[in-house]
Amino acid sequence: MFINWALQEINLKIVYYGPGMSGKTTNLEYIHSKLDPSLTGDLVSLKTKEDRTIFFDFMQIEVGKIKGKKPKFNLYTVPGQVYYASSRKVILNGVDGIVFVADSQPHRMEANIETLLDLESNLKADGQSLESFPWAIQYNKRDLPGVESLDVLQKRLNFFNVPSFEGVAVKGDGVFSTLKSVINLVVQNVQDQL
Amino acid sequence: MVQTRKLKDGSRQVILNSTQYEGITRVLSELANKTKASAILFADMSGQLISQRGNTDNMNTTVLSALAASDFAATSEMAKLVGEEAKFKLLFHEGEKRNVYLSNVGEAFFLVVVFDVSVTLGLIRIYTKKAIEDLNGILDDDSGAPAEDEKLIDSDFSSLLGDALDDTFK
Repeated sequence: MFINWALQEINLKIVYYGPGMSGKTTNLEYIHSKLDPSLTGDLVSLKTKEDRTIFFDFMQIEVGKIKGKKPKFNLYTVPGQVYYASSRKVILNGVDGIVFVADSQPHRMEANIETLLDLESNLKADGQSLESFPWAIQYNKRDLPGVESLDVLQKRLNFFNVPSFEGVAVKGDGVFSTLKSVINLVVQNVQDQL
Repeated sequence: MVQTRKLKDGSRQVILNSTQYEGITRVLSELANKTKASAILFADMSGQLISQRGNTDNMNTTVLSALAASDFAATSEMAKLVGEEAKFKLLFHEGEKRNVYLSNVGEAFFLVVVFDVSVTLGLIRIYTKKAIEDLNGILDDDSGAPAEDEKLIDSDFSSLLGDALDDTFK
């Protein structure tokens, strides 16, 4: 979190985390396509030729002035493939809130768990933990046939009982509700800390 | 020291007071004048842009600072992997028309200088070194008016933010 008193700005960093191809970039693309251009900057995507995130996606969004202060949210995604573990670690630097985008397909359950453990390990290295950190889960791709039931997903992934949302990111379902939830959690956390 | 404190949950909060912010902006202006740099950015290591000077109208400096921070972070990891204990202190990218010079300012911040290829690197290095000394001095001095962060976010703010989010994310 960065507070600029001179400009009355509060800057918060939110990272979208999750296994490869779970829909992290799709979430940001949807947000960028729907928001008023005056409230959002460019969406920058560092991708491979195959359209896979190689380093990160980034965009900044604002919501106008609130009680004279300007909250700004820097949204990042991480690359999901296993071999980009080091890159995920660096993108987490200075993170204030996390959206975990899980893939609802049964064959991706192991990848979801592995990435969640990877996230916990990175947070722990910085003295934090998913147990107390502001985060929410989005169970994405709910429109695909044969997806895992919410019950099973909750049992296997949501061990800390954080807010969870069903999502179909390509259509935008669940995208804004997940983001709103994490922003509210982050702000609540800031209030509690001060 | 700049107010950098660890919160209860372990996360880090960076607060600059007005005196520090004005001082930083002054140093950047001086550096821009001396080097005739196209743009100068001062940001923290998480990618957050703090101040900028120069001809930045056609440059997305928010994105540039995010990318530069990742540049530092990536090369820092590379340094570890190749057995270099210390982090690389500076990065230099050479272009056809423009060069980019990135330098650490302490552990938590960095400076980006974008300059024309006609300007010598030596000149940039000399003036940037001085600017970094000045910036470190400003960041170490928190004798200015203290930041009143206790009043920054209250339950009123949270509720108004909630409304604003509902409006924005329709």
